[in-house]
Amino acid sequence: MGIIPDRVREQLQARFEGALTGPVHLTLYVKPGSSRLILPAGVGCATCEDAREIAEALRDAAPEKVTLETIDVTRDVDKASMVSDVPTIVVSSSADEGRVRFQGLPAGTEFPALIEAVERVSRKDPGLSEVSLSQLTRLTEPTEVLVFGTPT
Amino acid sequence: MSLANRMAIASPQVTAICVEANEFPRLSAQFGVRSVPRTVVNRSGSFVGALPEPAFVATTLKLAGVPLDEQGAEGSGDKSELPG
Repeated sequence: MGIIPDRVREQLQARFEGALTGPVHLTLYVKPGSSRLILPAGVGCATCEDAREIAEALRDAAPEKVTLETIDVTRDVDKASMVSDVPTIVVSSSADEGRVRFQGLPAGTEFPALIEAVERVSRKDPGLSEVSLSQLTRLTEPTEVLVFGTPT
Repeated sequence: MSLANRMAIASPQVTAICVEANEFPRLSAQFGVRSVPRTVVNRSGSFVGALPEPAFVATTLKLAGVPLDEQGAEGSGDKSELPG
């Protein structure tokens, strides 16, 4: 049995039908040796298969808008350098952008954030106030914002 | 988490990375994560808790070294530094 029930898949499909206006590209970074076994650090990937299921569920909910590319970081070294660990899901409006990322299994509170990210990237709508947007224009250097969360 | 993503959608300078803290204990320890959400800007300054949008944006910019104008300064909270 998968981690996403059929009921949630149906809800996703219905939600995306109205919420997505433009294309969204998901890039999933994984490595082989994946299983739910917790292995020593750096060996295998305990959550890659679940992350794949989530990414595929998002794509399948709106296949005409959402595309998915899966990259094995052990085989594609150049692309692997884009992320620091696996699994990582990158949400972008085209294949060459990728500034919204989810590192680790986006379950729990991260799942709604991932869905929202897909919708906002599709609509190119950050949903920020005019004041915040104005403040952000003052940012002239690349800035990394790491947000640590948990599945619960 | 959502606000960081929204900032990344709004600004080409911002990259937002949502990290599952339990899955990456070494990374969490590196940034002194004891409670969540914890937001780390440019791997230097950080703050804990879910802030409202004006405070989140202003505090993030402040930690990124961007001088705030009057509107931004109103929303900015105190920053905390990462443990040495």
